[in-house]
Amino acid sequence: MRILQNSGVPIYQQIYEQLKSDILAGKMRQGEYLPSIRSLAKDLKISVITTMKAYEQLEKEGLVTAVQGKGFYVNAQDSEMLREQHLRKVEDCLSEAIAAARVAGMTEEELIVTLETLIQVMPEE
Amino acid sequence: MEFQNVIYGTKIEKKFKGFCLDIEELRIPKGFATALIGENGAGKTTLLNILSGIRLNYHGKIQYFDEQVENVEKVKDRLGYTSPGSFFLPQWTIPQIGKISSLLFDNFDRDKYQELCRDLAISTKGIKKTVNSLSDGNRMKLTLATVFARDTECLLMDEPASPLDPLMRDKLCGMIREYIEEGNGANSALFSTHNITDMENVIDYAIIMEHGKIAEQGFVEDLKEKYILVKGNTEDVAAAKQHMYSFSESSYGFEGICLAKDLDKLAGLDISREVPSLFQISVAVMKMSSVLR
Repeated sequence: MRILQNSGVPIYQQIYEQLKSDILAGKMRQGEYLPSIRSLAKDLKISVITTMKAYEQLEKEGLVTAVQGKGFYVNAQDSEMLREQHLRKVEDCLSEAIAAARVAGMTEEELIVTLETLIQVMPEE
Repeated sequence: MEFQNVIYGTKIEKKFKGFCLDIEELRIPKGFATALIGENGAGKTTLLNILSGIRLNYHGKIQYFDEQVENVEKVKDRLGYTSPGSFFLPQWTIPQIGKISSLLFDNFDRDKYQELCRDLAISTKGIKKTVNSLSDGNRMKLTLATVFARDTECLLMDEPASPLDPLMRDKLCGMIREYIEEGNGANSALFSTHNITDMENVIDYAIIMEHGKIAEQGFVEDLKEKYILVKGNTEDVAAAKQHMYSFSESSYGFEGICLAKDLDKLAGLDISREVPSLFQISVAVMKMSSVLR
């Protein structure tokens, strides 16, 4: 995990987003425990309360469950919800691209051609 | 947020000439690192001396470890304390301090002490250094080595970072984090500091003191939601000033801290908002309390 101290994005949010994307991408599996709040704080050199806030946010969104005295484990991810999350991310990224294209004065056709070219060039994972 | 208290105090009072410590309620959360912040003379040392059992003549009630124990004598082996001055005799050598400490404390780990002394580079190999030959920074490191070598559950440290260089402050932050992690929720630390920026990444809970009273306290993440750093243009100074908690203006515009609950009163003004650092919050709170007096 990478934490930027002066990026303007609160540290708890950076932790939250990175763990969330790990969970949604399946890098952390159902039932797996997140690192303990205090050990993550130690490893990332940040305060305990910051880590706690990130974990509480994940819990609020139903991504993890807290067990008293044991920590936080990853919940089963609803595949429908997962797809929904991914779709939203695609829409967000594309919207950003469209906005940038308008600033650059690209036409719709040019943008579509660029997208098609990128799809061809980028290797599938 | 709900939490248990490693130390819980009510109506703590101590009067000196021209100074009065007067704390209605004190809560030190268990399993976290708490910073005591405030101007010189705000009462931080007095409070730490009372909590550590050095000063016994005060009014009020203090309970330790989930409100189980009231007598500080009974928890002395579970508490670790460091003072800004050295309490070792000047002619003692570093190994002698290890020997004496292991006689004084049942839970003193001499191997760990030696390891810490090496790790903190207090002494050069082969040279027998005495306490009076050490610099202020090294004397503090020695004090820290003796307290971290004990098996305790709560550390009370009076200005541990002040005499330390930046590298060692970073190391101290790491040592506190490690201590908190080892306890897995049972170990707590309370320390006073003026070096808020250097210590910010280890502070979970902050208590800001002014004139013997607690001016503000809370978990740092909550304080960062309560206070918002606002910057704006010169033409909005008059409209904004009355709703700001702290305020300063220059020829380019204004900036200050606004309480989150008052932020909508600034609606319509061209302002930028930022999450303040604990340092910025502390300065604003300290300034406010100073003016009030």
